[in-house]
Amino acid sequence: MAEERESMSPTKIGFGILWSACWTGIPIKAVFAVLAMTMGLVHFEGRFGLAVLMLFASPVTVFAAPIIIAVFETHFGEGIGLPLIFVMSIPVDIWALGLVGRTFFLERLRKEPPYDGLGFAIWWRAALIGTFFLPLLWWIVSRVTEIAISASHSMAEMDSMRHLFGTGLPIAERIGLELTIWGSISSAVLIVLAVIGISILGQIIRRMAEHSRPASENYQGLITRWDLMRVPGDQGLLLTSLAGVGVVLSLIFWAILPATTPNPHDCCKRPEVHVEPVFKPVESLNKNAQRIASLAAQVEAMEQHKAEAKGQKEKGKGKAEGGTAKDSSAKTKP
Amino acid sequence: MLQPKLKSKVRCTDLDIGEVTKVVLDPLSHEISHIVVSMNGSGERQVAMGHVQTVTDDFVQLRAPSTDILALPPFKREDYVTTHEVEISHLEDNLHVTPGEVLVPLPDLEKNVKRRTFFMNFTHVLGFLVGLPIAYPILRFLMKPMYADFDNHWLNVGNVGKIKQDDVGVQFKYKKKVKEVYMPESEVDKNVWILRATPELLKKVYKDKDMEFRDARGKALWINKKTIPYVAFSGKCPHLGCAFKWRQHKTLGQVFLCPCHLSIYNAAGQVLDGPAPRGLDALPVRVSAAGDVEIIDMEFKAGTKSQIRII
Amino acid sequence: MDSKQSTPVAIPDHQPSAIEKLVAFLDERVGLKEMQAKMLNEPIPGGSRWAYVFGSILLFIFAMQALTGILLMFYYVPTADHAYASTQYIIHDVDYGWFLLGYHFWGSSAMVVCVVAHMSQVFLWGAYKKPRELLWLVGLALFGVVITFGFTGYLLPWDQRAFWATTVGVEILDKTPIIGDFIARFLKGGPTPGQMTLSRFFVLHVMILPASLMALAGLHLFLFRVAAPAGPFTGTVEEIKAKTDYFFPRQIWKDMVGMTFVFVGICALALWEPVVLLDEAAPDPGDYHPEPEWYFLFYFQLLRLKLFAGEFGQFLGAVALPVAFMILLVALPFIDKDPERNIFKRPIALISWIAIMVIIVLFTVASVINREFLD
Repeated sequence: MAEERESMSPTKIGFGILWSACWTGIPIKAVFAVLAMTMGLVHFEGRFGLAVLMLFASPVTVFAAPIIIAVFETHFGEGIGLPLIFVMSIPVDIWALGLVGRTFFLERLRKEPPYDGLGFAIWWRAALIGTFFLPLLWWIVSRVTEIAISASHSMAEMDSMRHLFGTGLPIAERIGLELTIWGSISSAVLIVLAVIGISILGQIIRRMAEHSRPASENYQGLITRWDLMRVPGDQGLLLTSLAGVGVVLSLIFWAILPATTPNPHDCCKRPEVHVEPVFKPVESLNKNAQRIASLAAQVEAMEQHKAEAKGQKEKGKGKAEGGTAKDSSAKTKP
Repeated sequence: MLQPKLKSKVRCTDLDIGEVTKVVLDPLSHEISHIVVSMNGSGERQVAMGHVQTVTDDFVQLRAPSTDILALPPFKREDYVTTHEVEISHLEDNLHVTPGEVLVPLPDLEKNVKRRTFFMNFTHVLGFLVGLPIAYPILRFLMKPMYADFDNHWLNVGNVGKIKQDDVGVQFKYKKKVKEVYMPESEVDKNVWILRATPELLKKVYKDKDMEFRDARGKALWINKKTIPYVAFSGKCPHLGCAFKWRQHKTLGQVFLCPCHLSIYNAAGQVLDGPAPRGLDALPVRVSAAGDVEIIDMEFKAGTKSQIRII
Repeated sequence: MDSKQSTPVAIPDHQPSAIEKLVAFLDERVGLKEMQAKMLNEPIPGGSRWAYVFGSILLFIFAMQALTGILLMFYYVPTADHAYASTQYIIHDVDYGWFLLGYHFWGSSAMVVCVVAHMSQVFLWGAYKKPRELLWLVGLALFGVVITFGFTGYLLPWDQRAFWATTVGVEILDKTPIIGDFIARFLKGGPTPGQMTLSRFFVLHVMILPASLMALAGLHLFLFRVAAPAGPFTGTVEEIKAKTDYFFPRQIWKDMVGMTFVFVGICALALWEPVVLLDEAAPDPGDYHPEPEWYFLFYFQLLRLKLFAGEFGQFLGAVALPVAFMILLVALPFIDKDPERNIFKRPIALISWIAIMVIIVLFTVASVINREFLD
């Protein structure tokens, strides 16, 4: 890693900063989200996984999300809590990007951080890129997925004619085949577009770095420096305030948490196994597989949404996951 | 305790005889009992610490001549084990026989004390904050059945036709339906003592005041009017909860008598004798036109002077 | 608590506070300072890293599961006639019961996710290679315990989902040659599932498995300390040395942040999707299509392939395939003797891992899609 300083690719730069900043911010954003959910300000229904991803990537999605919601009529969640959470994420992201940015400049680029407001500088650029790029990405991937799904449908039909089974491919195999076909196409497109977006950000940051002075210390010095950057000047103040805020939030939590179940007693609801939980392991794993699988997740969610976009509008606030007519007959019971 | 250093030279009164190759500890007292001297190649000898006169970092001075030391029996290594091969607690606490130290460098990042304390305290704060939000829900969760609401239904216990005489306690046995949370409904046998009271007895029971009953929130539930002649007493003795009886006493006349600890109450429920801390607990009672007696079943904490309702 | 150095800070005229006196009291008798230093001052080559937090997070999740599980046991009754009603009581009547049950339910999902994350991290970092083979094997045993936890706990609410998912699951085990029938009857406590099954699963879930997990986890930690952390797989000696720091405080702090995040995450899941039971278990599944927990769905879908139809096919899918896979995992440190730990220089390892993850994701999604075709 020592050698890549000058020639670090923009994708690596963009990803290095974005990945760390998103993970730095998510614990704090998660606390806000939980409070909002406890208060009943937001309900996520079936789009939970997608909403989590959008919140995770809030440096780029903060302004893109409302655009996507408006233009493509996707719903990540109901309630004013959702925009509230995104607004709260702005200062968190600025702080996270500042911390990560300074560390990245020092450790990986061996440069002095260019100016004091580095966090804000990176943030507004990232948000701007996201505002234009993400809706475009969303549109392209949705279209590609639609086409790929219908293409794979017809491919499966064709295949079944030639197949040994007279009645056509069995269901499980057919689903697997189709999913593989359109899944890989959609994932590939998604990955390529995401990499392009990230490298755009990386190029901008690299340009920032070109105007910065090289850092003077040796490697050990740099490491010690960014490590100690995390130790506040007045520890007591920070920690006491943190504890105080935590206590206040806990008290609020106690007051607002409903004592009995917030859901109406629905004895015969189908088990809610969403697409979302599938991709939980992905969030913690190696970035390569993370990308592939998270993108597959988004794609799947988008595909499902497309399939029931009309039904969802009619149902209003009903359960939105996998809800075709056939499925709902299995769900309800007198 | 003298601390002869390993590898230091050993000197007798007349000449140098070698160096300290081993040190032997006494397992009971944890003190150094012997040193083992190399004897310059002619067989190690075990020398008791009593022979040692002085100890410095470089050499050990013995007070005996070399011939005495040479005369000692040779050292048998197989009779000993190293301190790593046996578990004797605190054995090496006071031992300083190694000349020097074996060290490892502190990592650069760890040299900053403020950093260590900051992250340590931050960890504590986070740990506290993880436990806090669930502490209150857990407490309420566990306390759920502890202060259950009261059941204030009227229960029909029988007909006043059973009562033949005034001022005489008549036991009415009845069954109460009990449903404990998700358990199927079951019945328990309970009893209550009803009296048809004469005006004099009524005065003793009510003391010219209507008896008010309130629910858990303090709202009025029922009033036993002091003019109604029927009085109902809970079948549980206020001392420790036993079921009591109506008996003829030798000197006190007709009384309520508790067989457990011999608390005695008069017809008005007042304590005449025995360990009861308060009189019998009166219950809300009403009698219909047809003579059906209804009560609200209540139970009160046993053994206390004041009346605290628990069921 | 700051005294990592062996020489105490000598401040003249320093009156020891009550705490310092207490610490000195304990230290004299127990060797507290040295023990603490040995436990905490473990240098991590290349420094503390977020990638290493999953082990501690797993311990935290287990502790939370034990806590919420114990609380649930205050009200849950493991008999066929009261299991469902007592669970509903917890959900609908006990204060915050829905939340604690939801936490326990989603905590189990979080545990499976983190176990896979942890195993993946170890695999990708090559930290199963010599001298860490034993660690890997004990880890696989722990993985088995976690999966069994999920399987046994799922039955306890005794609703249709619980009952039928378990029935199907035990039937799969029955396909094991020779010992299959015995195992299935042992688990069911009879030829068909009933009260005996519930009792056995309950004992497994609250006594046997927790004890095993604690014992294995202790062994796992011990082996880990003895083998020392493997550290990063890239970096020059200079870089690794520059970043090295101790387990305490930095890695512990990262572990703590990770735990906090997982805690908040599980709370969010419990709030998003509280546990809702189906009808009480009945001999007839009715309209309900049995389905295992989400982390078994990929396997559930795999077994639907025609490849695994018929008696031999069932044997292949239900027994041979998983057993072969487990044997591969067990043998991994002994087959892969190459000391290279950089994942980007181990193409077979990298591709296999990606392939397995993709297959799992693919089949899980396929099983969700498949639901629409079930009627």
